[in-house]
Formats: sequence, structure tokens, C-alpha cells
Amino acid sequence: MSAIVHARGLTRKYGSTVALDRVDLEIPAGRIVGLIGPNGAGKTTALKAMLGLTSFQGTLEVLGLNPSKNRDQLMQDVCFIADVAVLPRWARVWQIIELTEKLHPRFSRETCLHYLARTKIHQNAKVRTLSKGMVVQFHLALVMAIDAKLLVLDEPTLGLDILFRKQFYTSLLNEYFDEQRTILITTHQVEEVEHILTDLIFIQDGRFVLDSSMDEVHERYTEVMVGPDRVEQARSLSPIHERALFGRHIFLFDGGDPARLAELGEIHKPGIADLFVALMGEPEQAREQAA
Amino acid sequence: MIADFFKRMLILVRREVWESPFAFKWTPLMIFGFLALMIGLALILGARVDNQMSFTLDGIRMWAETDPEQKRLMMTGGMFSIGILFHQIMFLVVIFYLAGSLYDDRKDRSILFWKSLPVSDQLTVASKLLTAMIAAPLLFLAGIALTHLLILVVASFYALAAGINPFTEVWLPANPPLIWFVMLLGSLVQSLWLLPIYAWLMFCSSWAPRLPILIAFIVPALVGLFQHFWSLLTSMSLPGMNLFVIIFERIGKGVMPSSIDWQEVMKQGNTVTYSPMADQLVSLKSILQVLITAEMWIGVAIGLLLLAGAVWFRRRATDN
Repeated sequence: MSAIVHARGLTRKYGSTVALDRVDLEIPAGRIVGLIGPNGAGKTTALKAMLGLTSFQGTLEVLGLNPSKNRDQLMQDVCFIADVAVLPRWARVWQIIELTEKLHPRFSRETCLHYLARTKIHQNAKVRTLSKGMVVQFHLALVMAIDAKLLVLDEPTLGLDILFRKQFYTSLLNEYFDEQRTILITTHQVEEVEHILTDLIFIQDGRFVLDSSMDEVHERYTEVMVGPDRVEQARSLSPIHERALFGRHIFLFDGGDPARLAELGEIHKPGIADLFVALMGEPEQAREQAA
Repeated sequence: MIADFFKRMLILVRREVWESPFAFKWTPLMIFGFLALMIGLALILGARVDNQMSFTLDGIRMWAETDPEQKRLMMTGGMFSIGILFHQIMFLVVIFYLAGSLYDDRKDRSILFWKSLPVSDQLTVASKLLTAMIAAPLLFLAGIALTHLLILVVASFYALAAGINPFTEVWLPANPPLIWFVMLLGSLVQSLWLLPIYAWLMFCSSWAPRLPILIAFIVPALVGLFQHFWSLLTSMSLPGMNLFVIIFERIGKGVMPSSIDWQEVMKQGNTVTYSPMADQLVSLKSILQVLITAEMWIGVAIGLLLLAGAVWFRRRATDN
């Protein structure tokens, strides 16, 4: 089985700014990949390159096609939700359904209407009259009715309340995802996606800081909660990050002997947000992004 | 394959009409409403002045007795003149539509949705061009036809009141289906004639960072102005070829809206006994003659180049 996304030396420059710096990437089928990074790290540029929305240097193949040359062909198998505001505001719901049905060979109107029936969205409503949450519900209903191989989500839940966000990922996971499909997500709300991801990529300044499966992440990184008496001992084992919480110290270790770490205190799997802060340097800025 | 292409093109053109209902649906309807109002006012005014309707009815009886060829000529002229207002407003509507056609979705970011559909950039650009070149003339023709029918129905009632056969004296000399056919053909040829201007608007629309319509006007205006001063300064004369003049000539010279066979009219106009024939007004020849001029096809070639440019920019366009 060939990779869904295959990139070698993927580079994109805007003038003298390097948005993507010789990135290598391999995404097999049936994965849910989180692409996490601070603003301006190159996330959206990477997604745009994969969707044929920007030019690039290096090799990039999505489903075996060059996205910048074969966008229209590629879009038969790739779906894409940018952040919430991109459905045309002048259009009515039924018009967008009609358009998608006539233009997209893999779209099922029946499935779309089935998902829409659960919402409060009326077919005659104009997109401009829908709330942000309803627009995302509608876009998700459209996308889930398309039998695509790759779904790209760029900050899909930005600005939505927590009920919509939960519901969004629940439907995606329970009713859409299977071994044949691949989902690529960028988001700042890492806590919400961390339980559904199979793979994790951290990106900073156009380079990948981390690219591994969640299993590998959990094997490799360990978080230990240490009481005040053992802090010095923990520090001697060269943790990659340390933070204080209610008088206790939380250390993050890369590798390390599990038995020895267990002696220091309580062991946890690190959350993505904490890992992000630890790996992405400048703590203040990074914490802000991860929050 | 071809059926599939037409299906996709049709829905893309419908999308354009959905997006701009004011331009393509309400504008022709409003012109129709305006003309209907004017007709109504004229009838009321006429009834006031001519209390017993005797002059009006006499006039209609006199009309019935005029020479059939003369009747045809006057009817045809009247039918075409109704189209003038529609066609001029349509030209303005199309200018504004095309200037926004590849710009608006970049501005409101919905381009990200459109580009998530499996539709090539060529097809997108083509659908917007065909909306301007074919869909707009058809929809405005519907407004013209509606106005024609209203006038002919009203005229029929007056004819009946005067004891005249409305079919032979009103509908037959007016011959609306022929007029509509000639108008449609004229509109389509005119669209092709104006292709370089339409394509220029789309070209500007495809890359302008803002205000594409302003850019589309200012660039040729500046070039024309520059040419003007340049030739004044260098040879103390006005330029032989001025871009702005060329553009205005292009707009002024087409075949629309009445498609009068001017060459024929001019030739016969020299003789003393000349009277214009209705056939010269509904002349297919004058429409089709434009198709065999070099000017037409030079314009089409320039238009195609500009369209290729528009597709090039469209391919690279995203939401910022």
C-alpha cells in the first residue's frame, strides 16, 4: 500500500521567509494525524501545498498525484474543511448540496441529508444566516457524505463552543473514520484531538520537531510527578522540561529507564500540550499556543 | 463525456446566477416593470386627452390601412427599440459582474470551498465567461420578450375595440419569434465581439489585490493618456492608434441591438425614392458579416490570451 501523502524536501518560501524548510513526510492510509505548531509555523502552508493551493519546491505526492498540477483530479478523493468561514455566504443550503451533488462524483445526497436532519439547519436557509457552529455542522455533513480517501481539517472547530467541538469529533470518529480513510488535522485545541490521533507531528519554523506515532510518543516520553524531596535527584537525570504545580514538580523525560523514573514519583503519559511546551522552546509563547 | 461536461457547465452557470440574482434576474424584471409602468402611464394619459377614445380608435383604423411593408417596418423598429434599454443596462451589469467574478470569492475566502470541489480552474473561468456571454443575454432577452408580449397584448385589446383583427394587424407585422431569434443571435455575436473587453475584466479580476473594476478602467486609461502625450511631445500630433479610442470603437461598433444593415441603408439612402425596408432591420446578413471581419478574430485572439492569463492567476489564487 503506497502512502497517502509522500513528501521529500518539501519547501515553500514567501520572499525571504521560509514557511516550509525541506520537510519529509510519509502518511500511510488509515491514520489520524495531528499537525501541531504555533501560528506561522508552516501548518497551513503544508496543508495548502497538499491541496494544490500553493506552489512548492521539492517532491510532493498526494494519492500519487502532484497537487499543484492535478488539483481538480485530486479533489475527487480529498476533502477539505478550512476554518469555519469558507462556505459561500450568499448561497442557500440546498444550492450548495445541489452543486456538490452535480460536481462531485463521490457525493451522496442521501447521506448528507441524513446528517443534516440531526441539526437545526433548514435547506432553504442562507449560509450567512447560520451560526458559526451550524456552518461547521453543515460543512461536516457535506464532507461526510463524500466517499473520500483523505480528509484535511485546518482548525475546523475554531471559535466553536465546547458542545459543537465534542460533537464534531465524535461524529468524525464514529461515523466517518475507518481503515480506508486518512484524516489530517491542524488545531490549537490539542486536548480535544489527542485521544483520537494515531500520529503526531510538531512543526516549528517550517521544520518538523517531532513526527511519530502516538504509541511511540507514549513509549518515549514519560512524565513524573515528583515531591519536593526528590527534585534534585530528578534534575540529575536530565529531564527535558520541568514545571511546578501546587508545590510538586512535574518532570518530562525523553527516554529514560522506567524503573528508575518510577522511584521518583507518580508516572503519567504526558499530554500533547505539555509535550508541546517542552519541545517547542520559548515556554511562554508555547504555553499560550497550547492552551 | 460531452453530456457530463454540459451537466457540469450548466450547474456552474446556475451557481453564477444564484450568486448574482440582482444582476441577472431582478435587473431585467425591474426594467420590464419600469417599461410596463411607462406604458400604463401613457395609456392613462392618452385616455384623459382623448376622452371618447375616438382619435385613438381612428388612429388604429388608419394603421390597419397603411401599406403592409410599412407596418412591418414600424413594428420591427418598435420591437427592436424596446431592446435597447435592456441591452445597454445588460452591458453595464456584465462589466460589474465580470470584474468581480474571480475576485469576490478570494475576498470572502469561499475560494477555499470552491477549490475543494473537483472542478478545474479552466472550467471555473469558462463558466463565468459563458454566464456573461450566453446566460446574461438569454435572461435579458426574457425581459425583452415579456415587455414585447405585454405591449402586443395591450395593442390587441385596442385593435379589438377599434374592430380590427389583432392577429393580422398587430401580431403578424410584429412577428415576435423572428425578432427574438435575431436579437439572440445578435447578442451572441456581440458577446464574441466584446470578448477582449470581457476577458480583460476577468484578467484584472483574477489577480487584483482590491478594486478590480477600478484597475480594469485605470490601466487602459493611463495607457491611452500616455500615448496621447507621447505623440504630442514627439511629433506634435495626436496618436494614430490610441488604446482608449480602440476600446470605445469596439464598444460602439458591434452589431447590437437592432442589427440594422447600415451598408444597405446607406447605399439606398442616396437615391431619392429611398424608403427603408423591414428586412434591413432584421438582417441576419449584417450580424453574420461581423463574423468574417479580421477585427472580430483579432479581438477573439486577444481575448483568449487574456483568459489564459486569468486561468494562470486563478490556479495560484488562494484566500490571501
